[in-house]
Amino acid sequence: MSHNQSAASADENNNSELIDRIGQLTRALHDSMRELGLDKEVEKAAEAIPDARDRLAYIAETTEAAAERALSAIEVAQPMQERLAENAQSLSSRWDTWFDAPIDLSDARELVADTRGYLRHLPEQTRATNAQLHEIMMAQDFQDLTGQVVGKLITVIRRIESQLVEVLVEHMPEAASYRERREADIDGDSGDGLLNGPQVNAAGKSDVVTDQAQVDDLLEELGF
Amino acid sequence: MADADLQFLVVDDFSTMRRIVRNLLKELGYHNIEEAEDGAEALGKLAGGHVQFVISDWNMPNLNGLDMLKKIRADDGLKHLPVLMVTAEAKKENIVAAAQAGASGYVVKPFTAATLEEKMNKIFEKHGL
Repeated sequence: MSHNQSAASADENNNSELIDRIGQLTRALHDSMRELGLDKEVEKAAEAIPDARDRLAYIAETTEAAAERALSAIEVAQPMQERLAENAQSLSSRWDTWFDAPIDLSDARELVADTRGYLRHLPEQTRATNAQLHEIMMAQDFQDLTGQVVGKLITVIRRIESQLVEVLVEHMPEAASYRERREADIDGDSGDGLLNGPQVNAAGKSDVVTDQAQVDDLLEELGF
Repeated sequence: MADADLQFLVVDDFSTMRRIVRNLLKELGYHNIEEAEDGAEALGKLAGGHVQFVISDWNMPNLNGLDMLKKIRADDGLKHLPVLMVTAEAKKENIVAAAQAGASGYVVKPFTAATLEEKMNKIFEKHGL
C-alpha cells in the first residue's frame, strides 16, 4: 500500500465518522425539538412563508400596475400639451408678422378666424389633459393598498422570527438576548378578524368581494 | 351635487389616500375639506360640530373606522351624520358589520371617482343635503 493510498483511506474513515456524527446530532436535535414541541414552531414559521410570498407578489403587481397607469397617462397628455404649445407659437408668430406689416386684410381675417378657433378648442383640450392628471392621481392609490400589505408582512416576519428564536434559544441558551429584544418590540398583533387589509389573493375565496358591484349587491341583499 | 360649502372630514391614516380623496372632492366642486389621520383625531374634530359629511377608512391605528362609526351613532349630537366608509377591507363580514353599525355607504378600495360620486349622491339624496 502506497503512502497516498493510506492517507486517502484515513480521510475516508474520518469522513464517514464525521457523517455519522452529524447524523447522530441531527437525530438528537430532531428528537429534542419534538420533545419540546419546537417542531410545531418551525412548522408554523414555514406555513407563514407562502402567505408572505403572496403578499410580496401583490405588492410587486400593484406597484407595477400603478407605474404603468401613470406612465400611460403621461404618454397621452404630453403630445396634447406639445400640440397646444406649437399651435399657440405658430399663431403668435403669424400675428407678429402681421403687426410688422399690417397691410393685407384678408390675411388678418384668416388669422383672427384661426385664433378664435384655437381659443374655442382650448378648454376642451385642457380638460383632456386634466383627465390624464386625474388618472395619474388615482394611480397613487397603490400606496395605501401596498402600505397596508407591507404592515401585515412585517407582522408575519415578526411571527416567523419569534418562532425561530424559540428554537434557537432552546439549543443555544446564550441566545436568550434575542428573545428579550424581540419581546421588547412586539406590537401585539390584535388578530382582529375584521382588519385584514386588501385581499392579496381573492381568487376562489367565497367570503370576499372583488369589486364594488359585489359590495352593492350584498348591501342590497341585506336590505340596506 | 350638494352645497359646495358642505363641510367634509376625510379620515385615513395614509396621507396619500387623504390627498386623493381631497382632490376628488375638489374636482367635484367641494372646497371645505378637513382631514384626520385616525378615528380618535376625527372624533376630536367632530366635537366641533361643524362637520357635515364623513368619509372614513376602516383600518387605522388608535381608533379604527368601525369603532369610530359606532361612537358616532351612539352620540346624540352626531348620530345623524352621514358616514361613508372607503376601505380596502373586502370580506363580506366587514360589509355586513359596517352596515349593521350604521354606515351610510361602503366603497371598496381601489375605487374610481365615479363610484365615490355615485355613493355620495345617494347619501345626499337620503339626507336631503
